[in-house]
Amino acid sequence: MEPAVKESTPQRRERTLRIIAQDPAIRRPDGRILTADVSVPAEDLLPGPRGYRVHVIDYDASAGVLYRAPKPPNAADPYRDAGDEVLLGDPGFHCQNVYAIVMRTLARFEFALGRRIGWSFSSHQIQIAPHAFSDANAFYSREDQALVFGYFPGSKGTVFTCLSHDVVAHETTHALIDGLRQRFNDPSSPDQAAFHEGFSDIAALLSVFSLPELVEALMDYGAPRRRGDRVAVSSVDISSLRRSALMGLAEQMGSEMAALRGSALRRSVELTPSDRYLRQEEFMEPHRRGEILVSAVLNSFLAVWRNRIQGLGEAAPGYYNRRRVAEEGASAARHLLTMAIRALDYTPPADLEFSDFLSALLTADTEIQPDDSRFHYRPALLSTFQSFGIRPTSKGPNGIWEPPEGRLAYGSTHFEAMQRDTDEVFRFLWENRKALGLHSDAYTRVLSVRPCTRLAPDGFLLRETAAEYIQILNIRAAELARYGIRKPGRMPDSQTVKLFGGGALIFDEYGRLKFHVRNKVLNAGRQTRRLRYLWEYGFFDHGARARNHISELHRRKVMGLPMETVEE
Amino acid sequence: MPRANKPLRLTLRVYKAGFGDCFLLTFHYASFERHVLIDFGTSGNGGADWALQVAGDIRGQTGGKLHAVVATHRHKDHISGFATSPGGGGPGDIIASLRPEAVIQPWTEDPNAAPDAVRATRAEPGPHAFVRSLADMQSFCARLVLELPALSGKIGQAAWRQLNFLGETNLPNLAAVRNLQRMGRRNWYVNFGSPCGLEPLLPGVRCRVLGPPTLEQCAEIGRQRSRDAAEFWHLQAKAEEAASGGEKLFPQAPVRSRASLPPHTRWFIERLDRMRGEQLLSIVRALDEALNNTSVILLFECGGKKLLFPGDAQMENWSYALSKPEVRRWLEDVDVYKVGHHGSLNATPKTLWGLFRKRSPDPVPGRLATVNSTMPGKHGDTRRGTEVPRKKLVDALRAESDYFTTEEIKGRDHIRHDLVFDL
Repeated sequence: MEPAVKESTPQRRERTLRIIAQDPAIRRPDGRILTADVSVPAEDLLPGPRGYRVHVIDYDASAGVLYRAPKPPNAADPYRDAGDEVLLGDPGFHCQNVYAIVMRTLARFEFALGRRIGWSFSSHQIQIAPHAFSDANAFYSREDQALVFGYFPGSKGTVFTCLSHDVVAHETTHALIDGLRQRFNDPSSPDQAAFHEGFSDIAALLSVFSLPELVEALMDYGAPRRRGDRVAVSSVDISSLRRSALMGLAEQMGSEMAALRGSALRRSVELTPSDRYLRQEEFMEPHRRGEILVSAVLNSFLAVWRNRIQGLGEAAPGYYNRRRVAEEGASAARHLLTMAIRALDYTPPADLEFSDFLSALLTADTEIQPDDSRFHYRPALLSTFQSFGIRPTSKGPNGIWEPPEGRLAYGSTHFEAMQRDTDEVFRFLWENRKALGLHSDAYTRVLSVRPCTRLAPDGFLLRETAAEYIQILNIRAAELARYGIRKPGRMPDSQTVKLFGGGALIFDEYGRLKFHVRNKVLNAGRQTRRLRYLWEYGFFDHGARARNHISELHRRKVMGLPMETVEE
Repeated sequence: MPRANKPLRLTLRVYKAGFGDCFLLTFHYASFERHVLIDFGTSGNGGADWALQVAGDIRGQTGGKLHAVVATHRHKDHISGFATSPGGGGPGDIIASLRPEAVIQPWTEDPNAAPDAVRATRAEPGPHAFVRSLADMQSFCARLVLELPALSGKIGQAAWRQLNFLGETNLPNLAAVRNLQRMGRRNWYVNFGSPCGLEPLLPGVRCRVLGPPTLEQCAEIGRQRSRDAAEFWHLQAKAEEAASGGEKLFPQAPVRSRASLPPHTRWFIERLDRMRGEQLLSIVRALDEALNNTSVILLFECGGKKLLFPGDAQMENWSYALSKPEVRRWLEDVDVYKVGHHGSLNATPKTLWGLFRKRSPDPVPGRLATVNSTMPGKHGDTRRGTEVPRKKLVDALRAESDYFTTEEIKGRDHIRHDLVFDL
């Protein structure tokens, strides 16, 4: 007789899959493609692979062909020992590669934020087309609930964008940010326009650098002084690491991929710190402006990596163990990526500026890791961001957000409901609208309430509830002066203007508000700057908004064209 | 200057070119005439029959002698009429027989600027790479037109029509291009500020070239053309070449037949087919814009009158000229404005429109005259605010100028309308 409950073996939480470490252009010393083994959440996959968050559908719209889905890698990785020919020529591996990178990126976001993360559309599974069409483009599309990867003929055979780790991680990050902060796609400040691309680049590059195999391979670029498995101390200072790891990646990435990515990484690496960029016309263009953010984070990465290396003992006089140096680089990248993702919860949901993101970075990390004395991540971020003219918005100690002012009423709301119910959080907002400085004429909506449990490096659990709300005020240009906002020069009085504001609410484990990170809908200075920028760059012209889709954004980035603006 | 050497009158013959441009500008002197043909093409007005009829009319109007031809850029709707036919009876053969002294084209058409076939496009950005990009763009379109039948029924009808129109418009037009290279006594490949060869042919007329800018000039106003862009177009051309072949990417891999698509894939496959159409449309729009921005912009000045012919120049082309204070001054007292790009969204920049001082809400003497050669329903989309002619612009043209549109030329026997300006 069968037992009522089957004795089950402990279920695996993770499985290991082989991916191409960066792209097929980056090779091992023996000339074979550099691959890496990565951990992804274990699940019972259907052919595709088709899992609980991702559904790979290998349809090629250019040829009108649906490739038969390969067997899922439920037992073992079928490509663990596959040769380069199989990696490049077997569409089943391409499906697995893209699945693994998307799931790894998602898992990193979920780990960092301490909760499940939904897509911005009404489906649990995002669809992925690894060979969508013959086109030098790859993009995320909210409307199609999809990540779409093109392919194109290169000088040495077909270039598959789905085999580029950074491209896949970049597009996945677009989808994840969209799930976390839907309003970041709205026309706003030049910083917000730049943030989606900049942050996706940051997440993609740090994801790539978190693979020690790849970091080790890149360290050889620029011929550092090394002796066997040791590398000279003089070859791992900040400028040497910039030359080897960062420039190495920029140089060795498949050169034809420039047609997809542009030279953003190279330009970010070469950007010498200066506080002038933010004011220069050239950097008002969102793609270029995003490079400032990428450059600030990459410089922080080098500084922290260097800090971590200094903690290593010398393996021989004047030499470090090369593998350990690479592992420290990968650890620094992983930690910075986690910090950056956590910061998203602490950003205002509308009208983001880089300075807000810096305060969010510093606050999120302080909350989970008050003691930063070992590797000095926060001083490194503060210093490099400041070298690019980005100073924390918060005037609080060390640039972290300050607790909310005033007495807040909790009497009418319930702790349990405040952790998941948007109506309950709205009631809290409504009852505290004066203390929280909300504008009562504006349309107000709570967009999300998300309880989370974050794991600190010391094993300590941080429980928080993150909620976000927006405020929207529709007024005529003629009314702006009443609120102290200056109208852009030639804007007609009859022009309807939509002002956005909003805040992130971070509640502690007792349901008390810890932080209220907000941009007031009637912040005159900020709204004046925003309207001037939007007016000058044509965002008020009919039709301009609809065309700033991510696929279009990528194409214009590559072609060196500004965001589509219309002078009508 | 003796009066005999100044034009006394101008006639602007505006041909009904559907979605296209064809203007014959005649300068009447005391004892002779000079004729300049500005563009000759259509994208929707009967093709060869129309072109032969117009070419015959031009021969008649000019008395068998054309002094100059201006081909503003190589779009079909501006140069298709210059195509020759193997038997020598094409409209382009008729125009060539009028023995123009000068043929004026943008610098991007200079055959000497064209790269040799082996030159890598990854070279530093420069005229060669840029010209190569234009060739890649047109090669993309040639392949796109081959792929179009397979896309029919998979993407929306409106998107398919747009693709078809833009694909056809951007085809290489090789016969016309070759004819333009050969028909004139001298070819002038012009850029902002360069001589254009018209002034020696047109006594008493000043003719300034306001566009297109060269790459160096673009760089002066911070619009450096990206090296990545050249690579992008090169790869897109190759990608479309592969796509139009319709071959499987992985010939050995097993596939599902169209009839046996698993239900859970069907919604997404339909979306991908539609996305393919959208992607192609987005690429072809970008290259259409790039070619428009190679348009020659000419400002004629004679007897106190100024006539502005900008071809299809859009903002990127105009930016350099409009950045110059002296150009802005020259443009203030324009009398006749050929509406850019058939009245499209971005070809009459508001900065430019704002400069014209002869605009007036009232029909006063000396009011700005505007001429639009256009055809609704061919280009753009009303829902996207990109329809051509753009209603908002046409409203402004009607309100503040003496507006003439080729839509007003009615009847089968009417192929043109003449506007006469006394000097």
